Amino acid sequence: MSKGDSMFPNARIPYGTWGSSYFPAWQMSPLAEVNIGQFAGEAMNKILGKRKIPKNLLEYLVIGSTIPWHWKFWTAPVVASCMGQRLPGYHIEQACATGLQATLLAAGEVQNGAYDVVGTLTFDRTSDSPVGVFPERRAHERTHAISDVWDNFGFDPATGEAMIATAGYAARKNKVDRREVDECTFFRYGQYFDALESGFLDRVLVPLEILNLQGRVMGKVDSDAGIRKITMDALRGMNELDTCITGGTQTHASDGMATLLVTTAEKAREISSRPEIDIRFIAKTEVRTLPSLMPEAPGLAVQKLLDRTGLTMDDMVVVKNHNPFAVNDIIFAKTLNYDWRKMNKTGCSLVWGHPQGPTLTRIIIESLEEAVDLGGGYVMVFGCAAGDVGIAAILQVTERR
Amino acid sequence: MTNSMRQPTLQTMGLGTVLDIFQKGQLPVNTAELVDRVFGKAGNRGSLVISGANGIVGAGKAMQLGSRLQPFDIPIIALDFPGVADGIGKQYAGLERAFGRQGASEIMENVIRFHYDGKKLPAQLKDFQPRFLLEAIPEILEIKKAHYEVFRAAFPGIEIRSVTSGFPGSQLGVGIAHPAFPHEINKTWEIVENEPSAITQLLWALGMIPLTVSDNWSFVLDVLFCGLTLTGSRYHQNRNMPFWKIDKYIRKILGPNPFRAHDAIGAKGANFLTWSCLHHLTRHYGDLFKPTPNLEEHKDSGQNWYPLNHFRPLVNWSLDAEEEEDFRTWILGPLCQMTSLMLHEKRAHLSLMNSVGELCAQFRRGILSVIRDMGGAAAVETVTAYHKLHPEAAGDSWHPEVFENMDGADWQQLYVNAEHDGTVGAITLGRESYNSDVDAELNRAIDWLKNAGIERVILSGDFHLTTQLVGADTSDFYPALEDAQAGVEIAGGWSKTARRLYKEFKVSVGFINGKRCLGGMLELMMHCHYLITVEDAALGMPEVTLPVVPGMEGCHWPFRKTGAKNWPKLMQMLLTGKAVKSPEAVGWLIDYAGPLEEALKKAYLAASGGDHGLPLRKVEEGALKGLPKETGSIVPPGDAKLEAARLAIFKNIQASCAAPLTEAITIQAKHSADFMLNPLCQKGSIGAEFYKTMKI
Repeated sequence: MSKGDSMFPNARIPYGTWGSSYFPAWQMSPLAEVNIGQFAGEAMNKILGKRKIPKNLLEYLVIGSTIPWHWKFWTAPVVASCMGQRLPGYHIEQACATGLQATLLAAGEVQNGAYDVVGTLTFDRTSDSPVGVFPERRAHERTHAISDVWDNFGFDPATGEAMIATAGYAARKNKVDRREVDECTFFRYGQYFDALESGFLDRVLVPLEILNLQGRVMGKVDSDAGIRKITMDALRGMNELDTCITGGTQTHASDGMATLLVTTAEKAREISSRPEIDIRFIAKTEVRTLPSLMPEAPGLAVQKLLDRTGLTMDDMVVVKNHNPFAVNDIIFAKTLNYDWRKMNKTGCSLVWGHPQGPTLTRIIIESLEEAVDLGGGYVMVFGCAAGDVGIAAILQVTERR
Repeated sequence: MTNSMRQPTLQTMGLGTVLDIFQKGQLPVNTAELVDRVFGKAGNRGSLVISGANGIVGAGKAMQLGSRLQPFDIPIIALDFPGVADGIGKQYAGLERAFGRQGASEIMENVIRFHYDGKKLPAQLKDFQPRFLLEAIPEILEIKKAHYEVFRAAFPGIEIRSVTSGFPGSQLGVGIAHPAFPHEINKTWEIVENEPSAITQLLWALGMIPLTVSDNWSFVLDVLFCGLTLTGSRYHQNRNMPFWKIDKYIRKILGPNPFRAHDAIGAKGANFLTWSCLHHLTRHYGDLFKPTPNLEEHKDSGQNWYPLNHFRPLVNWSLDAEEEEDFRTWILGPLCQMTSLMLHEKRAHLSLMNSVGELCAQFRRGILSVIRDMGGAAAVETVTAYHKLHPEAAGDSWHPEVFENMDGADWQQLYVNAEHDGTVGAITLGRESYNSDVDAELNRAIDWLKNAGIERVILSGDFHLTTQLVGADTSDFYPALEDAQAGVEIAGGWSKTARRLYKEFKVSVGFINGKRCLGGMLELMMHCHYLITVEDAALGMPEVTLPVVPGMEGCHWPFRKTGAKNWPKLMQMLLTGKAVKSPEAVGWLIDYAGPLEEALKKAYLAASGGDHGLPLRKVEEGALKGLPKETGSIVPPGDAKLEAARLAIFKNIQASCAAPLTEAITIQAKHSADFMLNPLCQKGSIGAEFYKTMKI
């Protein structure tokens, strides 16, 4: 493709029609007790209301989540009903790539002319993960019971390795220095708290009150609960769980939702709070690395995407990724010869946690807000996903004068 | 010649004035005579036919009218299609609760069920001589008209009333008697007829509340209720707030829960009726009434407005000050505009138009009272702001001129009227509970009589909109739950008004008609020099059970009017909250209890200075001595909550009785106000209602 071409020339993300819940760490908020599909539908409705977007403008809904939830069989239609709008739609999941993939699929629905306004709604509850019981005749137990979150993290059936082990392997292969990993982590926490204290995140995150069965407020989801400021000494003092991997240099499970809209250019101008801002989809790609080297995959995906578009990292005004391990960023920097200090300026999932489905959606929203602050330009969003996959996409923000 | 501040609402039914009733010592019409006129004399009695009798309206009215007409041996013919669900059978349990098994059986013995195919009436029907058809069949114009033709052909001269909520009588060719939900107990009917008829007067004589309205597409109740539902659904359409939360905010500013009400009535039918009403209103009055797409969807699907139980709401919605102002514009703007239309069309006596919302749609205060409180200019501003949000509504049906002059008595005396014959005045209360509106209007009524030189007055219900006097409107206490000074102002201000009845008239007579007079209303009445009641009225001070402390002088005024030997009875009433039957209260709480006509005559005699034979119980103005020091011997112990409330009331009695009359008014107001801040009061029924309604 030529430089500047768009993969979905008819699709836009209308500025300011998005929002995310905070991502409280698992078991730390009322979200641990809710049907997350219902919560997501209701929260999306409220976020749209706050943004003064009547939900009846939506024509279609793409939902994304990775952990089973009650009545998941009914997918997007039941979530839409919880939103209060009877929309058709479907559910997608691609582990940690879900948020970006759902957004791109929504753009595809607009590009193919099926709809003018498509909602992307991603969510997950890692707390109290459901347990699946699978008949498994080849196993001596005859039946496997799997805790969806933790048992999957601990075992990639394609390689037999745990997720954390891929970080260790990649760190060793790429000769990652533990001191740099700690330094990067410390830096990332600083970026998050700077963004939080500046008020930047107030444009992205919407505080929500959760009701109990009697309709009384049982708690608030108004912070990325579970995150505290960290010192370099504390990081350095942590025991390694695998090479360069400590409790501090990896993300944590959390709960939450995030949503944005994808529309035609005309609709975007009509409903955006800043119609002069134009957000386009440029390109997307995915790669799969050698077995158990997942942290290498994002950098390879980004390199492939740059090669295909003719763009360079210098063209990017915002670079932001899903980085469950700090080693991801170190390896990415080595692969692209890029300074990891120049990315994730408003925070990242290493710090604010990882509810899986909505993680990359929040990353997209934060990166677009940041790009608008910077006067526009190309935005590189990327991350890793289960199965040693890397996904990357480029968006473009321009301001019509 | 009777002068009145504004037209008495009784006149809208051809029933004269309240003062007429006292002067003549009897009600303007006699129930038995009206039964004879409508159904024929005993021995040749005809029947009441209710068609569509298994529907919600038909079955409810079969029970309500059946129980009230049973003493007159009027057969109730319940007519419906074969195979429809048994709506009447469902009512039996409620009937049994209200009248006991034997009473319920006797009422049901008089309900005769017939089936028909919609075209040909059952042959046996003629044996029952149908004289009055109350039609409650589906809201389809042509079917209704054909139905009337079938009846008229079979029974020429039959009186027909439709319960329709939307079709004008001019379209149907019959009069309208549109009842309000819940049909088995709500006594209110909107009546459309050219002249007051015997049927309307009979409804009144049977204890119903007929409200005369003009003949338009959709009557006052449905314009208000369906209109309010529409405003909520339009807000939802534009701002996404879920219906259950919109209900809460509507309840906060006005009182009703329109969406919950649809689900409670039965969403399938109620959604259709609301849509149908709005659809017809749109055709005649424009886009102000245009159903929203979500209303259309609910009409087509019949789905409930609230989520199913397994999807009880998870995410709360709350509005900041700016958003709440926006909400008020979306709700009050169209409601003010709809009201302007009804006022422009002169759809009803203003007091009736105002009371419809309170009596039939859970409005805390009637719509005209709300607008009066806003002020005309603010109402116009709100509608103008609404038009910016919904420009399509600006085109038609907006009559701002109706809000230009709200100084007349028709606007200013929505709840309280005054009449006089040059010597005796009557102040009539058209609201069953006392609130700030009633208080202000009562003061204006007293001023009006005083300016006319009237020194003798009777205070009573209005024999129309009030069928009992239940006490203070506790929603007026909400500010006092957070601010002691607000409590002092309410209790002190209302007490001051009540004292005017004692101080500013040579003779004042409180007259209690109806089933009961409680709490604040009883406190008001006891300020009159004489208190006269019908013999079956119950009198009580239930404040302790809420709990609140009486603040309209109930804790000392009655003690000052009777000797120490009767104080234990007053203590008993105040500290247990139990009511007494009026004959038992003569001499220490009231001055006379008797049959209605005797009581009416006695009241007029007392007011006019005739030989009434009632001793005047003077009010002791000094400090009272010898009050009991503890409550133990007077009332049995209760639970801790009740005991604490008793103690607060007891302290109020002790303190206010021990003070001279001039000081007692402030002391008792402070005791009452202080208790409002007590955690017990906050956790009691008023506190719970306050938090549920206002803190959302």
